Amino acid sequence: MGSTVDIASAFVQGAPPGELQEVVKDIRGLTADDDPALIAKLKPAFERYNEEQLTSVKLPGSNDYVLISKYNKLPSSSSSSRYYDTQSSTSFEFDHTTSKASATQSYTHETQHTALIQSILKSLAGHFADHYPPTTAAAYTVCATPDDDKHIAVLVSTTKASPKNFLSGRWRSVFLYDPSAGTLSGETKIDVHYYEDGNVALTTGKKFDAVSVGGAADGAAIVRKIAVIENQYQEEVNRTIVGMNETSFRHLRRQLPVTRQKVEWEKVKGYSLGSDLKGEAKR
Amino acid sequence: MASEAQFDAALDLLRRLSPLEVSDNLNAITTLVPDLTEDLLSSVDQPLTSARCKKTGRDYLLCDYNRDGDSYRSPWSNEFDPPLDDATYPSDRVRKMEVEANTAFDVYRQMYYEGGTGSVYLWDLDDGFAGVVLLKKSMAKDAGWDSIHVFEVDERRGSGRTCHYKLTSTVILHLGREGESVGSLKLAGSMTRQVEADLVVENVGGQGKDGGHVCNIGRLVEDMEGKMRNMLQEVYFGKAKDVVGDLRSVAALTGVNQERQAQRDVISSMGGK
Repeated sequence: MGSTVDIASAFVQGAPPGELQEVVKDIRGLTADDDPALIAKLKPAFERYNEEQLTSVKLPGSNDYVLISKYNKLPSSSSSSRYYDTQSSTSFEFDHTTSKASATQSYTHETQHTALIQSILKSLAGHFADHYPPTTAAAYTVCATPDDDKHIAVLVSTTKASPKNFLSGRWRSVFLYDPSAGTLSGETKIDVHYYEDGNVALTTGKKFDAVSVGGAADGAAIVRKIAVIENQYQEEVNRTIVGMNETSFRHLRRQLPVTRQKVEWEKVKGYSLGSDLKGEAKR
Repeated sequence: MASEAQFDAALDLLRRLSPLEVSDNLNAITTLVPDLTEDLLSSVDQPLTSARCKKTGRDYLLCDYNRDGDSYRSPWSNEFDPPLDDATYPSDRVRKMEVEANTAFDVYRQMYYEGGTGSVYLWDLDDGFAGVVLLKKSMAKDAGWDSIHVFEVDERRGSGRTCHYKLTSTVILHLGREGESVGSLKLAGSMTRQVEADLVVENVGGQGKDGGHVCNIGRLVEDMEGKMRNMLQEVYFGKAKDVVGDLRSVAALTGVNQERQAQRDVISSMGGK
């Protein structure tokens, strides 16, 4: 097993949606005062976590959330990280250790896909309002892939955190549109965590590879396709959960024995001689 | 020495990190704070493993309570594997109850699980005895249930005919699906509940009151497991699905809102006439 920083970084990566601060608190409690600078050393882990989880954050003086990802990240020479938001045409500094945004500036990203990005963004706003109910925090953005400017990233993230009810959840969608092929590739993930006198987690993910958009291949067509992919996936997740209840769960432990009666413990020795274990005998 | 605050932080962390990686997370925590190892191993439940009894050929479940060093005691033969020179065994009285309880819970297991593996281990206490009922059933790789019921019977506490029973039950439930249409879906975790009761101890069978203890423990575990099964069903298949629906709506919300508005319009126009 690795160093304290490696172990604590792995804990950070494993934090459920909306529970990063609680995990950090536990890391502090666990390591006591061994290394007061430990949290600062976890910055790379926080950065990876926030970018992978598509963490959303409020800009100073704004009520809207913007999203953190590796796609809308700007090259930065200083130790801080900078990201930009296409819709509000701003860039901002994000402190991964405190999860706070600051130093907003006007910013427009140079890309060959400006027109298409604006068109997707316009349709995405409607899609977002249609399918994402108000939660604790939610955001979306559209941006060109930073290294090659070849693809357009369409990102959606919504988080529900309800510590009072001991539950949290997050939906994440990452779609990369390839303008030359007219296809969408990406991944959708859902995480749910319930932790009242226990620890129960739903973890799902599905990858999509080169799904043809068809039609005019404009913003409306791309977002329509995303809605179809997301809807099909969500319906399949619901069906699978219902199916697991009706099959696997039922086969693990019965609600009542085949006899439809609870065990008569005083007579339990006689059971194996009689016909009370029909279910077992048939197998 | 590890402090209580460190222990609490470790338990809170294990309540938050993936329930599928309890064993890895335990290893990581005890690497950071080795002094926590013993306390955590005895208070954190992990999926059970089994071994085959060399004497009887029957499978039994392994846990901290039938372990001595690197050896485990079979409930069927009462022997440790690998053998030990100076092992601690239950007293004759408690071992007799253990045999009785294993027979009874074997019937219980067949009736509720229609398969699987079970084991009961008992040990002596100053004021009575304690034990653990273990039940496990797995189906292929994608479904598994582990029940761990730890109980204490205080024979001095209680009034005349009754004794005081305390039960702490944990069920670990793992379900998973992989496939073309759903990708990868895992629904996994554990829940723990406690109950205490003063129960009348009747004379049952050749062991008298000790036979009555086995019946009382049987009923306590049966009731608790039934309640926990309902709770797990509600959390795994109700709550989890509800939260997914809270995050995203398959039906378009504006459509839903427009419909509601249309309904309101109709109702108000009817009211106006």
